[in-house]
Amino acid sequence: MDCTLIQGALIGYHFATLSDDDRGDVETHLVACTACLRTYLAFKAHVDRDGSGAPSGEVPGETARLRLRGAVEARFRPTPARVLGRWFATPVPLYQGVAVAAAVVLAFVLGPAVARAIHPAPPAHALERVDSARSAAESLTIY
Amino acid sequence: MNSDEALYARVKRGDMRAFDELYARYASRLFGFLRPQLPTRADAEDVFHESLLATLESVEVTFHRGSFRTWLYRIARNRVLNRQRSHGRGQTALARLAPLEETPAGPDERLARGELLRALDGAVARLPSPLSEVYHLRSSGLSYDEMALVLGIPLGTLKSRMNQMVNVLRQELEPWTAR
Repeated sequence: MDCTLIQGALIGYHFATLSDDDRGDVETHLVACTACLRTYLAFKAHVDRDGSGAPSGEVPGETARLRLRGAVEARFRPTPARVLGRWFATPVPLYQGVAVAAAVVLAFVLGPAVARAIHPAPPAHALERVDSARSAAESLTIY
Repeated sequence: MNSDEALYARVKRGDMRAFDELYARYASRLFGFLRPQLPTRADAEDVFHESLLATLESVEVTFHRGSFRTWLYRIARNRVLNRQRSHGRGQTALARLAPLEETPAGPDERLARGELLRALDGAVARLPSPLSEVYHLRSSGLSYDEMALVLGIPLGTLKSRMNQMVNVLRQELEPWTAR
């Protein structure tokens, strides 16, 4: 392949549309011809925006960037409602959900019994003795 | 390096440093994809803003059906098409350039790299929309699979369009590369 044919094939070579044979011919030529290699590299740099930006190096202006940043910040700023919503939306494994539900039910069912065991109510006859003792004391009072 | 998807998740939790990193990663690539397809810089900035915000807000974005980049470019492409439909297909700034006339120069001048690249820009600007899309998506670094997802077309159809695009550009550039 001579240089004129290579120049015409550079687009297909860059976008990988050439046949295997043609690609091989181009690569063989590029290795041997520095002029065509420089042309290809310039072509590639001009076309390929991956990591190099638009051909003119354009990016959105600073005002546009700040406007977008402000919109994103306002939209996703953590608020109590959003944090709570995310917590409820977090998927939980079934076994964990069942365990938590069981714990809640047990708390409602056994809670009063446990509370009574910790702080038992005084026996009813103890109150009667206090009342009896009070009556006896009053009866002995000399007015 | 944090993946796009990890940064996306952090932005949705309000981490603005993650947004800054994501923005820096895509500012030039996405803008480079948008600018040639829209008539003015302001249009490109607006679509850039809408696309990135819509990608972050969308409840449809799930990464088992495509990467963050795929989603971003798909949404950006749809925004471009919407804007083109509402404003008329119109012409990009480059397409307003008159087609370059073949200079009556000798073979050495025709091969001058600067003329070749300028001719390429003009040829790209004159590509029909379906071919222009594949050119700009490929130039933005997307793989064939990602491009097919963004465009919503089978891989075979995409490869066919790539071949068409290359053939059109090759024909347009023939005066600058012919013997």
